[in-house]
Amino acid sequence: MSTFNPYLPELATIQEIIQETHNIKTFRVVLNDEEKMKNFSFEPGQVGQLSVFGVGESTFVINSPPTRMDYLQFSVMKTGEVTERLHALNEGDQIGVRAPLGKCFPYEEMKGKDIIFIGGGIGMAPLRTLLLYMLDNRSDYGDISLLYGARTPNDMAYSYELEEWLSRDDMKTTLTIDAEYPDWQHKVGLIPNVLLEMNPSPKNCIAVTCGPPIMIKFTIQALTKLGFEDSQIVTTLEKRMKCGVGICGRCNIGTSYVCKDGPAYTYEQLKQLPNEL
Amino acid sequence: MKGLEELKDKIHEILPDLDLVIGWEQGYDGLHATPLFIKTPEDVDRLIIGPLCVHNLATYLPGLKDKKVGVIVKGCDSRAVIELLQEKLINKDNVVILGLTCDGVINLTKLGRKIGSLGAVDDVKVEGEKLNVVIGDQQHNIAFSEVKQDKCENCIYPNALVFDHFIGEPVDRVENVGAEHQSLSDFEGKSFDQRFAFWKHEMSRCIRCHACRNACPMCVCRDHCVAMTRNPHWLSQENNVAENWMFQMIHVMHLTGRCVECGECERACPMDIPLMLLRRQMNRGVREVFDYEAGIDAQNRPPLLTFKVEEDNISEREW
Amino acid sequence: MSQQKFLASQSIGSFLETLLREHRVLVPLCEGDSVVFRPFRKGGGLELTRMPTTSPKEATFPRVETLMSFTQKVSAPQEEDGGKERPEIELTEHLPQDSTVVFGSRPCGAKGKTIFSRVYDTEAVKDPYFIARRDNTLFISIACSAPETTCFCTSVGGGPADSTGSDILLIPVTDGFMAEAVTEAGAKLMESAFFDAGTQKAEEAQAVVERAETKLGQAQDFSNAREKLLKLFDNESFWEEMSAKCISCGTCTYLCPTCYCFNITDETAGNTGKRVRTWDNCMDYLFTLEASTHNPRSSKAKRLKNRVGHKFSYYPSLHEEHIACCGCGRCIKSCPAAVDIRQIVKSAQEYEDVNI
Repeated sequence: MSTFNPYLPELATIQEIIQETHNIKTFRVVLNDEEKMKNFSFEPGQVGQLSVFGVGESTFVINSPPTRMDYLQFSVMKTGEVTERLHALNEGDQIGVRAPLGKCFPYEEMKGKDIIFIGGGIGMAPLRTLLLYMLDNRSDYGDISLLYGARTPNDMAYSYELEEWLSRDDMKTTLTIDAEYPDWQHKVGLIPNVLLEMNPSPKNCIAVTCGPPIMIKFTIQALTKLGFEDSQIVTTLEKRMKCGVGICGRCNIGTSYVCKDGPAYTYEQLKQLPNEL
Repeated sequence: MKGLEELKDKIHEILPDLDLVIGWEQGYDGLHATPLFIKTPEDVDRLIIGPLCVHNLATYLPGLKDKKVGVIVKGCDSRAVIELLQEKLINKDNVVILGLTCDGVINLTKLGRKIGSLGAVDDVKVEGEKLNVVIGDQQHNIAFSEVKQDKCENCIYPNALVFDHFIGEPVDRVENVGAEHQSLSDFEGKSFDQRFAFWKHEMSRCIRCHACRNACPMCVCRDHCVAMTRNPHWLSQENNVAENWMFQMIHVMHLTGRCVECGECERACPMDIPLMLLRRQMNRGVREVFDYEAGIDAQNRPPLLTFKVEEDNISEREW
Repeated sequence: MSQQKFLASQSIGSFLETLLREHRVLVPLCEGDSVVFRPFRKGGGLELTRMPTTSPKEATFPRVETLMSFTQKVSAPQEEDGGKERPEIELTEHLPQDSTVVFGSRPCGAKGKTIFSRVYDTEAVKDPYFIARRDNTLFISIACSAPETTCFCTSVGGGPADSTGSDILLIPVTDGFMAEAVTEAGAKLMESAFFDAGTQKAEEAQAVVERAETKLGQAQDFSNAREKLLKLFDNESFWEEMSAKCISCGTCTYLCPTCYCFNITDETAGNTGKRVRTWDNCMDYLFTLEASTHNPRSSKAKRLKNRVGHKFSYYPSLHEEHIACCGCGRCIKSCPAAVDIRQIVKSAQEYEDVNI
């Protein structure tokens, strides 16, 4: 009898690679086992461990929504050993996938509410999953707005989708960069400042934010200033992970294991955890 | 070690200008001393000195670089301070050295060989050359010379070599000048196969806890040690003889001309692996090739941290 | 209580030899100046008096194990790919097959795996490597007759004759041991002719256990440590003081029967490689270092806080108040700086914040 082995990755093929920015690539991946690919299910916000065999594993959010299952999409910023090797791979190459892992965004509880997404840099990846999921189930949600910022226009991932998002009449998209840049048509300013300027109403609204730690910190401060309750703010955490299933012991904050209990948390939940980010 | 009261008075005097003073206090039983970090005048009361004070407190100095620290040192420990100063790993302006004179410290492994389990020791007293160990209603009287650290057996630096304040009177006692520790010649008397078998056996016990590294005052890469990094990926995380041995080789190579033979690596090893054998042999090589001994003069340069066009004892031209 | 049987000291070697037919047998042996668990060999000696330096957790959680191996290949040229070769990977799972008997562990050592089980064998996730080893390992433990100054099993829910995690518990008596089956598998082993039902030394055995209990003295009450440790989470100076003498090595974690953290790394040789699991150490800087160079536990104070917090606060909160410690005292006894975890928890319990 064979038992399920949570450490054993599924073999998968890289179908397509998109160069997003100078240091971010997006990988569209399909499991080699057709049956498993067909039956693969996950919820927005859940993550996966990608293996480059011989190098190791690293954790990335599945940033394609469960409503679009032609492939699983992961965006990877080149920062360490595994990500560097991932960036060196080609379409058709084999990797391993352990997914889904972790908990999803509270997308059921968000039904009927207005949603504001606030993403910075690569932090747009998990928001993309939820945003596309909501657009694919548009009638379940109220007003949807997106504030997406990056250092420069060249650091903005998913640039090829931004035109569509900007032109949609069922969502409102605001783009910003940190400093003036030639031919930039959108906002200039740090995300929290632009957010304050946008002045979204906290009434019946949930804010979902992800980005570099410093950006999350000031964005949450801004949201609080705008009157958002802690329970109306959702974010995601990053930690060094190995097992991905809550055993190996490195990603905990007190009693909460980010790999299995996160990575999505409400600010209310985060405040109950010890201060170790 | 003598002069506890004088030492305490001196600490009271200097403590107001310092963040802390590192000394020793009694540990969890009669047999163990433990490092003491003195911050208040009340802490001074807990200070002890004597043959249980094995720890080389200089090991803590590089981790306290941003603090003003007083440190109590034996002769051997002071050599580590000199080496740290020499390599600019600590700043002398931030360190006040309290030098002691020492008659040797205890080796608990050797004591264990004498009396079996050390798990229930109530008290240890040193009376002259005798060590009196009390376990329940049993008493063991042991010659202190038989359970001293190896380094104490032929110690030629019983007094701190560098200090701001010397406590007590320096002793004029030098045993076996220049003598190498017996273990080295014993080991070298064996055949190659025996020596190789010996290390394979010893290294199979290593659990790769890196106590040897972290207890070493000269091992300052600690958080970025090649033992764990993947870049460079010189060692795997596998715990086996080859990897364990490779780590020890890297460790000893990195200490070439820097090791002051304080013996902390071997003392810290929970598996009692005789790591000092490697250090002794390396240090003999350094003495022979470079006429150099580490931790004697803060103005010196470790031979492998400098370059000479022609070394005195290496006749490259004849190669 | 099941019937006790007598195992004579002089029969142990022969008994273990019979076990070798079906099992790997691990026993404590003197090696250098340490006592370590090693495979028993016919005619080999045992060290049953001194407390083993290492813990028997290696039986169920080896220092290093291969989780899987892989080979990178290239397929034959494919017509649909325009005659190009296609990279392929062959992945092989390596589940443990051995059956093991650990003879001569103390009760505290045998208890370790029960701390693992609450994490490695849950409704949500099952670690097949650990479970296979645990379910194929029998522990024949020897009740502790000589508690040491570092022992505190009675403070963490254990005791010198605690049978938790053991299959057979042996209590030392004159010329041998009184054996008691704890599990069915243990009872089966005790059907061996080396176990003699005729000799009864139950009273002597009882006295041995009572003596050990007395020697252990008053248990420390850790029940409020859970909240106290959490309360001190942000108290940097408390943790700096507690960790001042710690040298941040891995002696405590690697000798601990209950420390279960691990690392997973890939190692290659040419086109083949393996994914290995190794013991890892929460006291190490790299344990939590993120690729971005951010490290949530950048100082030894933060790391020690997590180690103590995990054992005495987080784990008990998640697992019905069970403390993730078996009180064997190895972390104290072998610590190069004599850091005493009992004292740290006690200091937290007694801490009164003057600023509140």
